[in-house]
Amino acid sequence: MKEAVRIQLEDFSQDEEIAALKGRSKRMGGIGTFLGCARDFSEGREVAEISFDAYGPMALSEMQKLRSDAIEKYKLLDARIVHRIGTVTGGDNIVFIAAGAEHRVAALEACHWMIDELKQRVPIWKKETTPQGQSWVVPHP
Amino acid sequence: MIKVLFFGPVADRVGSNALQIEYRMGMKLQDLRDACASKYPQAFELVSMMAVDGEHARDMALPLNDGAEVAFMAKFSGG
Repeated sequence: MKEAVRIQLEDFSQDEEIAALKGRSKRMGGIGTFLGCARDFSEGREVAEISFDAYGPMALSEMQKLRSDAIEKYKLLDARIVHRIGTVTGGDNIVFIAAGAEHRVAALEACHWMIDELKQRVPIWKKETTPQGQSWVVPHP
Repeated sequence: MIKVLFFGPVADRVGSNALQIEYRMGMKLQDLRDACASKYPQAFELVSMMAVDGEHARDMALPLNDGAEVAFMAKFSGG
């Protein structure tokens, strides 16, 4: 089985991630998921592609801590986080987060919390290529 | 030596992903930041996050060890 927390160049399968999560416990009554995708239009400009830079070892370590923190904070049965790097184009998957709990409220809240925390804690940067040139993305609040 | 790492927009402005800075006894994170910022002021306009040996660091008085790995980073934009 693939690791629950990964940074990878290749695309991921939401179905495989959810199946892996469900396989961890039959007490799981709710799974909250977040899928972040690449947009082909941003800040009034066409975006041809998005590339990533990452402080790889720290990013992975922070994502592993984030998963552990979420499991503890929301009493999850399990959680998974996958983030792509490399280069993606409009419509491609970027990040997938799944939280499994006994009930829906914990699953949904944990999922929301994890993506917000990931943006604050995990050292990854996006660069957009547009007709005007390349520019690093300024994070949204 | 201290290994200083840069990523994304900061690396672009520095023109490099890494530097080696000579370690001095009693060196603190603030000392290293000041030394690098005076050399690359435009890059350090973007720096708002730091890490020492792969862990977030917010205490500028943190003493550094010889051989430490320090990253000066812009706000993250992953996800």
